[in-house]
Amino acid sequence: MKYIAQKLGLFVLTLWAAVTLNFFLPRLMPGSPADAAIAKLSQNGPVTEATRAAIEAQLGVPTGSLWDQYLSYLHQVVTLDFGVSYTFYPQTVSSMVSTALPYTIGLVGIVTVLAFVLGTLIGVAAAWKRGTWLDSLPTLTGSFLSTFPYFWTALLLLFFLGYVLHWFPTTGAYAATSTPGFTAEFIGDVLLHAILPALTILITSLGGWIIGMRNAMINTLGDDYVTFAEANGLRGRTVAIRYAARNAILPNLTGFGLALGGVVGGSILVEQVFGYPGIGYLLFNAVIGQDYPLMQALFLMITVSVLIANFLVDILYGVLDPRTRR
Amino acid sequence: MRFTVSKTHTTRRWRTLALAGITAAALAVSGCSIQITSQPDPSIGEDTMLINADKGNPLFDRNFNPYITNARTAARWIYEPLILINPLDGAEHPWLADSWEQPDPRTITMHIRDGVTWSDGEPFTAEDVAFTFQLIKDSPELDIYGAWQHLDSVEVDGDTVTLALQSDDTPALAIIGKTMIVPEHLWSDVEDPSTYRNEDPVGTGPFVLGNYNDQQYSVDRNPDYWQADKIEIEHIVLPSTNNQLDTVTRGYDWSYSFISDVSGTWGAASPNNKWWFPNAGVIGLMPNNDVAPFDDVHVRRGIALALDRDSIAEVASEGYMEPAGQTGLILPNQEDSLDPSIPNGGIIEQDTDAALAEFAKAGYTQKDGTLVDEDGTQFEFSLTTANGYSDWTRAAQAVQRQLGDIGITVSLELPQPAGYQQAISNGDFDVAIGGMGNGDIYQAFNSLLSSDFYVPVGESTANNFARYRSDDADRLLAEYRSTVDEGRQGEIVDELQNIVYDELPVIGMYYGGSWGLYNDAKFTGWPTEDDPYMIPQNYDSAPLLTFTKLKRATGGQK
Repeated sequence: MKYIAQKLGLFVLTLWAAVTLNFFLPRLMPGSPADAAIAKLSQNGPVTEATRAAIEAQLGVPTGSLWDQYLSYLHQVVTLDFGVSYTFYPQTVSSMVSTALPYTIGLVGIVTVLAFVLGTLIGVAAAWKRGTWLDSLPTLTGSFLSTFPYFWTALLLLFFLGYVLHWFPTTGAYAATSTPGFTAEFIGDVLLHAILPALTILITSLGGWIIGMRNAMINTLGDDYVTFAEANGLRGRTVAIRYAARNAILPNLTGFGLALGGVVGGSILVEQVFGYPGIGYLLFNAVIGQDYPLMQALFLMITVSVLIANFLVDILYGVLDPRTRR
Repeated sequence: MRFTVSKTHTTRRWRTLALAGITAAALAVSGCSIQITSQPDPSIGEDTMLINADKGNPLFDRNFNPYITNARTAARWIYEPLILINPLDGAEHPWLADSWEQPDPRTITMHIRDGVTWSDGEPFTAEDVAFTFQLIKDSPELDIYGAWQHLDSVEVDGDTVTLALQSDDTPALAIIGKTMIVPEHLWSDVEDPSTYRNEDPVGTGPFVLGNYNDQQYSVDRNPDYWQADKIEIEHIVLPSTNNQLDTVTRGYDWSYSFISDVSGTWGAASPNNKWWFPNAGVIGLMPNNDVAPFDDVHVRRGIALALDRDSIAEVASEGYMEPAGQTGLILPNQEDSLDPSIPNGGIIEQDTDAALAEFAKAGYTQKDGTLVDEDGTQFEFSLTTANGYSDWTRAAQAVQRQLGDIGITVSLELPQPAGYQQAISNGDFDVAIGGMGNGDIYQAFNSLLSSDFYVPVGESTANNFARYRSDDADRLLAEYRSTVDEGRQGEIVDELQNIVYDELPVIGMYYGGSWGLYNDAKFTGWPTEDDPYMIPQNYDSAPLLTFTKLKRATGGQK
């Protein structure tokens, strides 16, 4: 109990620090939201003083001292009402986030779970059959593929499978002509559009899980209790799964917890390349447009979920490995 | 760890892997030369135009309020302005205003077009015009062109609207004329027009909203349009497009973007793909006229003479754009206004000796290949441009090299666009890449030279970022505003060109383009170099004129 209370205290303190940083960091960027909007407009032609005034009025660019802004920001955090976006005026931040979140959780969330499960299983098999092709093939291709930058893999897949071979749609989360709804047709369409981005994330993240699991597993395989289990004549699969893998999975589980926390941040580059309407796409545009309200809401959501995931992993660790509680 | 692999085994494996990697890389490189072709959607008919003009984020927000900058592009094809202006040359086309007069420099009278109806059948009247002006007065957020910075009052008498101005201000016509008129009978009940999304727009324009979806919408021909006989486009489809591969492959009839190697990409995708990139502005060096040594005209002229504009234009725009002159005008669009006494159309040729002579007048001499002042200090300055504007960055690098050749050390500053905008607004720069020129000649010189926009370094301005001041320019601009005599206005424009040519408040380098990409398989009659009736852009109000000129290639519907 004391362990949990300690972790909870730390959680609250980190949360406040994160919330405060989240307020000040965007404001340290050079230029204001109006500057960003005008820079965007002036690429299309000269922007007059009157247009600048109209834009500042439209955006409701922050007024008052930094302290007043901070207080109203804290109020927003507590009430979860972040007001109107600057870049996407007059849309509200909450409506934009709630539209984007399901796509990101659906895409990045499912792929993260899939990559973790697949990678861990392959890692177990690789360590168990070490020295054979079952080890070298996945570890080497895994480490090779995980060195690819996300966006490069995304562009290659998009270009060859999308534009050259026309196997998959190239942009969006569903076809422009389909009507969103809980119909088999629409769900199939969403799945088809998710294949390329999902493949990108899977290809680049799978290697990490494989190698992490394999290396941890090889360590445990050298431990005495494994030798003892083998000497007792237990079946190979029992030794691999129940004895070795169960202990080796701890570091991978930490990584998984953090990865799950990071899911809500979306995958900025992948979503950008595929024009996928998720959180990563929003975040990119929010930063480019110096959209304080949207940035604050998104960063808050990301930090809070990473903190919660971290907290849960801490608790889970205490359960799985009693030594950490001391 | 007891698990090891024998050495030879590893080496062989790495060799195989390396080979596989090289093969993959070779495949990827050869892939770049795969020709992408245009693949039009067969379900889009001969009478339907596919336009790449609206960018979702990546989904669309259903917003057809023409006064909100984030509104859907087609909102400005549904609502029409009083006067339609060609941003290339400032030509004024009568639109919802049939004709107008300026009886004196403080008054504009407009006669409202007869026989125009709203798409719900209600007649369009002068009252709607008065209502719209009142609306943007009451909600200054919507006054995006700043009509009420010039207007004093608006009065209606039958079909005539009389606009009284705050001062002698003849050029205000072009600003006030851009006002897009909304219907009083629908908008008078809107509670907060500045956040009103206007999801079901009713306008006077050639199109009405058809199908709407978060990723694509369409507009349909308005059969009751006041010049319906000129519109042969039945439908326009606007998908939310976000990358240039889509621009090339989806079979667009009209697109707008700078695209690298246009003949090898857009041009090669279909034999009907054409393009026209008219000069639409001047890209130049903006010296901070408020900061030494750029407050010295000899330094500014020295820099101007040291530049090889042909090479800068070639490098920056991949050869699509030409070197620009030093008159503040955009040629050939504004050729009629060019002062013939200015040599070579205002283009300053590179002349290193003359440049060094100018620098010598400012106290800089060449010593061991570097340019130093009287104390022997190296002449160096920073050049600011926006990160991500790749043509500007290439121009800045070319300037850095060329000035380096005569011994000036130039360092590049590349803040993000918002940071760049802040730097030039606040005067926080030595020299910056920036623009000058405007289709509207008065606006071009006013925003370049007027001391009304002058603020000291550290304060923010929206124009005249170079912080230039001159009593002569102010006097000429004021005289221009208070005369309705076009002959006298022409003389003033000549004098203003000479100020820009002699004083170099901004140093012109090359023209910025308007990047029109079009396909003439289904529709012909596009604006071209031979018939530059409108800028080829497919956003804002400009397409309203283009739509009336486009004819169906297969003979049309009539």
